[in-house]
Amino acid sequence: MAETDANTNAEEKLEQIASLWNSRGRGLITEMDLKIEKAARDGVRLRMPFNPDFCADDEATLLQGGILTALLDSAFGLANFLAIEDVENMATLDLRVEYLRPAQSRADVIVFAECYRQTRHVTFNSGRVWFDTPGLPEVARGFASFSITRGENSLIDRMLKQDQSSDT
Amino acid sequence: MTLEELQAQCDRVPFFRFLDFDITSADDESVVASMVQSERHIGNPAIGAFHGGITASFMEAIASVTVSRNWDILLPKPINLTSDYLRPALAGTLFTRASISRKGRRMASIETVAWQADPEKPVARGLFHFLLV
Repeated sequence: MAETDANTNAEEKLEQIASLWNSRGRGLITEMDLKIEKAARDGVRLRMPFNPDFCADDEATLLQGGILTALLDSAFGLANFLAIEDVENMATLDLRVEYLRPAQSRADVIVFAECYRQTRHVTFNSGRVWFDTPGLPEVARGFASFSITRGENSLIDRMLKQDQSSDT
Repeated sequence: MTLEELQAQCDRVPFFRFLDFDITSADDESVVASMVQSERHIGNPAIGAFHGGITASFMEAIASVTVSRNWDILLPKPINLTSDYLRPALAGTLFTRASISRKGRRMASIETVAWQADPEKPVARGLFHFLLV
């Protein structure tokens, strides 16, 4: 029972951290208007609403591949942030994206991203992107590695402290 | 195709307008463009750096323009990409040169390099494959 409570608390904390990451972010992440559907150590699932600005054509029938790449990169960042408690800083080392089919839909886009291996200095990430439409067609798959710095002054603690001080 | 015609073609693509770049030169081997940072390009709020996805998208856009110009295909189909991040891309202007590595009948392989103040210190390199049929 106690273990279940601890897990629930941990999940709540991760969800709180993920929402902070999302709401405190600026720049591209604001434009993408992401909704967090799952925030856990073993992966994150985010929803991006359809946006005609991200399309390849004025008729808005096809998403440009680049936005899916950006979505994957963002989701990898959040996945690492949640999976690695003492991460102080991180930077994408490299990113590979496969465009599996044309992104031809106005449905919301869902991304699942995970950090499936972490070492002292490096993370290994993979992710999938699909449309929230019947058949859930997978439109892209991505892989990345990040260079990370671990330390006492973790990103999560800094963000939680900032949040507390802004409340008072 | 003149630079103005190339730019006009780019300006018809909503996501390219979102990125907001200028084509500065184009020949049979390569295309060069510049993109001034706006708030929506930012990924890392702490240092105000370009989002890695935006850097990759910009390189992909210029790779795609290179294909358009040389094969006369308006929207070449991207197959995959690899982006190698070498240095942080900080506030200011980002430049990209996209060059043709292989010009096939069905496939094109394009390599890109992105830099800021010093072309000798690239911030990213990219490899992009497009399907031409």
